[in-house]
Amino acid sequence: MPLPLTDGLLVVIKRDCDTCHLVLGVLDQIPGLMIASQDDPGFPHDDVFDDTGLELSWELQTDTTPTLYRVADGAVVASAAGWHRQRWEEVSRVTGLGPDLPASRPGCGSMIFDPDTHERLLRQHSPVTLRSRRVELGSSEDPYEAMAARGWSDGLPLVPPTEGRVEWMLSGTNRHPNAVVCVMPPDLTECTVEKVAVNAVMAGCLPEYLPVVLSAVEAAASDSFNIHGLAATTYFSGPIVIVNGPVRSQIGMNSGVNALGPGNRANATIGRALNLVVRNVGGSIPGGIDRANLGSPGKLTFCFAEDEEGSPWEPLSVERGFGRDESTVTLFAGHGPTEIWDQLSRTPESLAASFAGQLERVSHPKLALLFDAIVVVSPEHARVFRESGWDKQRLRTELMRLLTRPGAEMVRGAGGISEGLPQSMAGGDVAKFRPDGLWFVHAGGSAGLFSAILPGWVNGDIGSMMTTAVIR
Amino acid sequence: MTILLDPTGERQPTDRPLTSRLDKIEGVTIGLLDISKPRGDLFLDQIQAHLEARGATVRRYAKPTFAKPAPVDLRARIAEECGAVIEALAD
Amino acid sequence: MHDIADLETRSIPGVFVATNEFVDAADAQAAALGLAPRRVFIPHPIQDRTDEELRALADACIDEIVTALIG
Repeated sequence: MPLPLTDGLLVVIKRDCDTCHLVLGVLDQIPGLMIASQDDPGFPHDDVFDDTGLELSWELQTDTTPTLYRVADGAVVASAAGWHRQRWEEVSRVTGLGPDLPASRPGCGSMIFDPDTHERLLRQHSPVTLRSRRVELGSSEDPYEAMAARGWSDGLPLVPPTEGRVEWMLSGTNRHPNAVVCVMPPDLTECTVEKVAVNAVMAGCLPEYLPVVLSAVEAAASDSFNIHGLAATTYFSGPIVIVNGPVRSQIGMNSGVNALGPGNRANATIGRALNLVVRNVGGSIPGGIDRANLGSPGKLTFCFAEDEEGSPWEPLSVERGFGRDESTVTLFAGHGPTEIWDQLSRTPESLAASFAGQLERVSHPKLALLFDAIVVVSPEHARVFRESGWDKQRLRTELMRLLTRPGAEMVRGAGGISEGLPQSMAGGDVAKFRPDGLWFVHAGGSAGLFSAILPGWVNGDIGSMMTTAVIR
Repeated sequence: MTILLDPTGERQPTDRPLTSRLDKIEGVTIGLLDISKPRGDLFLDQIQAHLEARGATVRRYAKPTFAKPAPVDLRARIAEECGAVIEALAD
Repeated sequence: MHDIADLETRSIPGVFVATNEFVDAADAQAAALGLAPRRVFIPHPIQDRTDEELRALADACIDEIVTALIG
């Protein structure tokens, strides 16, 4: 944009800046000074240039407020960033500025470099160049067959990622398409925002889902989650994505009837997009790196929202240290669901015992501690705990007690079963799960006295740990 | 011309890949698909003789007309009965 | 070449034999199919060759054909 003055003096300030307040008196000392305000068009008075859109600041690439500029012939010829009496006097050619002020004071960060704002302005001002390699299909190739033939699919049809669709998908985020989201194992390829968008198109996502997919990809590629190990396992598990916070209703996710099942586009496509990224960008292909001996349907997609509003407890995200008003994704390496049927328990003790009876069987009745689990507590079961005043910790304590057994029963060979814990554990008691290994999430329809277990893959250093990321 | 953006880490070429080749032709059933242009059968007779001399088993097939792709059931038969295929002779 | 392309997708390795006249057309078809089958070319023309000459053409290209199937 052209500058709002061709010759003269201009200062860029914002209300939310101590140094700008400090120099208000100085501004009065400089005749004909144009004031541009980044955050409040009424600061310090009504006769300021409204730069709340940050177009002028972007043009000037103002990195500090206040910054004083001298303009000649429509271009900046001198500037002074922050307050610095000598520099301001040179630029303004006015002496005796701010006699009561210190000689200098650093300014504040200009709003154009606030992280989200900067990405947004970058997108606005530079044309987006999509950098993915272009694949020209043969004139007689059907796009749907062509994608499958090139090995891009998880087995189901894909939406063709044309340039137009990918640009459309990128409108769902302020993040720059070239920004690197993560380095994706096992191939350790740089996964950009654009690559995630391409796979999100193929999965059938809407643009408003993209921020959730991006955060899920980040969480998956973290050291703690260990997507590499998970992708290479012979076990059943895949990434499970649990969403908390305002985003759930903003994008229409499902936390109720069929929460773990089909029917909701956001649930189905967000989970699918993550798996396509892992497959296509990371190079994890069934039969290649992915050697799951049986696998599970959840490896196509497994994503749902927690029902926070109906829950007797704090959301999973809050339990893991995030604010109730923050939107988060939590990644858990697991599979399932396996069932907890209980249509008769009216007391929390009885219901917890039913939970424990099924939890005992996670992976093997005689194995313990190697894996974590999530219990998805449905509304009718949650009501039992609500009415008895049992919070998560009370339930967890009860379950840990019920799930603690003599090691002698669990060691290899005990009960005529070769599988089990090492002999060294025969002496004491063994808890099925480690203290941080049992989680509760509230979801499901309001009719149905069933809850679910999502058994986990191996935990710890060689396995995967539940990982939560804020959605931005 | 449909252009798609590559969703992969871009470590492989973008054409559809060919399937893997044979280790050897000895003991393999090779289908000879005659596109039914004149004289092609003679050419294929000689190819057959060479392949059999090298230990392959040969089966002969012919398209009803060179002007169109082979019927679906003919391709299915070839896929079922053969381990490799030679299509000739286009001129 | 559609037949060879189709059979490749069914895991049957193939090779297409044609005369030199066919080189450009084969490239165009491969581009249209998005798949480039193995090709062996022999000298043109065919129609006016004697039986002897035809057999000689086959003798001359058999090695290339076999290579296309195992190479």
